[in-house]
Amino acid sequence: MDTPKVKRETKNRIRVDFERAPLSERLKSKFMSLNFLKKVIYMIFKIVLLVGVSYVILYPYITKIFGSFMTASDFEDVTVIMISKHPTLDQYKYIITENHYFRAVLNTFIISFTVALLQTLVCALVAYGLAKFKFKGNNIVFLLVIFTMMVPQETISFAMSTYFSYFGTKNPIGMILQAIGVIDQGLINSFVPLYLLSATALGFKNGLFIFMLRQFFKGVPDELEESAYVDGSTTFRTFFSIIIPLSIPMLVTVFIFAFAWQWTDDFYVSSSMFFTQSYLDRPDGFKMISSIATVPKSLKEATKGLDMYASAIVGTSTILIAAPLIIMYLFVQNKIVQGIERSGIVG
Amino acid sequence: MDLLNKLLNIFKKKPKERRRIYLKYENASSLPASDDGEQRFSLVVDTEKQEAMALAKQESEPEKKLKKHRLSLNTRKSLSGWLFVLPFVIGIIMIYAPVVFNSIQITFSEISFEKGMQLTPVGFENYIYIFNKDEYFSITIVDGLFDLILQIPAIVIFSLFMAIILNQKMTGRAVFRAIFFLPVILSTGIIDSIDTNSKFFEAMENSQGGVDNNTGDEAGGIVSALDIQNLLGNIKLGTGLVEYVTNLVNNIFDIVSRSGVQMLIFLSGLQSISPSIYESCQIEGATAWETFWKITFPMISPMILVNAVYTVIDAFTSADNRVMVYIQKIYSKSDYAHAGAMAWVYVGIVLVFILLVALIMKAIVFYQRRD
Repeated sequence: MDTPKVKRETKNRIRVDFERAPLSERLKSKFMSLNFLKKVIYMIFKIVLLVGVSYVILYPYITKIFGSFMTASDFEDVTVIMISKHPTLDQYKYIITENHYFRAVLNTFIISFTVALLQTLVCALVAYGLAKFKFKGNNIVFLLVIFTMMVPQETISFAMSTYFSYFGTKNPIGMILQAIGVIDQGLINSFVPLYLLSATALGFKNGLFIFMLRQFFKGVPDELEESAYVDGSTTFRTFFSIIIPLSIPMLVTVFIFAFAWQWTDDFYVSSSMFFTQSYLDRPDGFKMISSIATVPKSLKEATKGLDMYASAIVGTSTILIAAPLIIMYLFVQNKIVQGIERSGIVG
Repeated sequence: MDLLNKLLNIFKKKPKERRRIYLKYENASSLPASDDGEQRFSLVVDTEKQEAMALAKQESEPEKKLKKHRLSLNTRKSLSGWLFVLPFVIGIIMIYAPVVFNSIQITFSEISFEKGMQLTPVGFENYIYIFNKDEYFSITIVDGLFDLILQIPAIVIFSLFMAIILNQKMTGRAVFRAIFFLPVILSTGIIDSIDTNSKFFEAMENSQGGVDNNTGDEAGGIVSALDIQNLLGNIKLGTGLVEYVTNLVNNIFDIVSRSGVQMLIFLSGLQSISPSIYESCQIEGATAWETFWKITFPMISPMILVNAVYTVIDAFTSADNRVMVYIQKIYSKSDYAHAGAMAWVYVGIVLVFILLVALIMKAIVFYQRRD
């Protein structure tokens, strides 16, 4: 081969024309190879898998959405499978008006927001203490965190509910509070127990939050804090003005988890824990979002003998319960992935 | 570095005097040497003198106060460590410990609700009862354990697999990620309990679904469990394995919706592996298969341990596994003593199980840095 022909030359770039194989040859070697075939097969496999699993995840919601437009007659008609013949918005209308949807959303939002904020803050504090300070008893505290994670909430639910319902008579602090007149006999039918549990990092899955945040804080280089200490910052100030701004994505992740799990909670706000059934059943009572999952009065007549219709209505209420969460999730889902990606959890 | 500087800037707001001097000193150093510089230098010495005087003043004060102000750095750090974990420690002492104590106490006693709640101690009677007289408890626990032992590896492997796929660069990755993490947020609490009892959902699944139940009378399904059973049976795999796979296929929704958090943890682990390692692998000519087993797997192994333990905890404590359902049934009969005894026996078994898993996993875990 002779020397390549120079096509264009500038100060620091040169373009030369080599003798190349013809286009058809090049394409052939690119697309007819085993390597390319392997790549294509892998791509197809991946896409089928991803789409398939996505379908499995989304399927219940899709069926619920289709079911939410159905009427009673659609369930008697055998030919109707997914798409209603007489689509209506009746189910939404009655659930929203008769089950007090908006009031429930507002109430639940306020409580979930407070609980999630408390849990995020307290778990972050505890996790930071465990991750960055070597003190006597550090390991014991961490083991206790793991222990609270491992004991199912149902195991201690009865003892927990009696603890709070006899708070004013059996607990020394409760007795003092009762003597002052802050509380009645017990802390029943109120959200104070829930807030107390959140403020002491004993709420639902708080062990997991502490664990996740601890791993995250371990990944933050110590030099950051050291430079702050050298400049005369206290540990708490360092935490609030350096660590917190750094870990916003992770904190958002924890906040979303706490919020969503409190939002859909049907364990703490139920007659088995801190509330009595009669209090929850009061018609003008405090409605939580979990209480809207019943068949509204106006549709009771139509659902008689049609179990499918009744559960379709409950499915519709699930959509209504999930809707605010999904909207929130769409806004912050990239933060969740970010927070996790940066955490670098190492066991 | 840019971020570091920005953060440090926050702390430049020092007491006024010291800051001024600091700035002047900086100016002096940036200027060419002159007579002026000398004066500035003396200014700095002045403040040092002032500080020394203040220090001397502090030292001359009574020794008691001095001790208070001058804890060693280690003591101060451990003190603030305790301050950080204080809310949790208070919670443990004030709420959790009494509650756990009480709930264990209940299992050793008989409850009567005549005048408030009365406990009469009866020793191990409740425990003897649940193992000897209750005919379903032992069987349920064995069955439940067996279920979970089969399901846990499936969840861990599935979530690792999906995390690796979701970690690759491709179009629509964000959408798939959003969909995959949806169950973490939505399949909990009330929504989950509605889904598990929904007749409508079941009926829809039977009329439409991709993978149907094991009855095999289905014409419309894309893949039926029976097909898979036949396929695997024909390639002469052991019947146990065939049963296991079909069982997994039937519970695919369960597995997918439970592996959300695990997927997140694996993704974070995959992200923390340095790309330069993969690059050097590529240069050395390793195949994807080799890269996975020699690089990805060892590097991700701590995460496998974390996930295995988390999956065990999650599966054992979730309200819809067999044993928990049974315990809930006893609870709802107001038989608190027996239900509590069962629950604590169950917790004990879970603890042993987690220790076992951790020990087994310890053998394969590889830690990059040992600190």
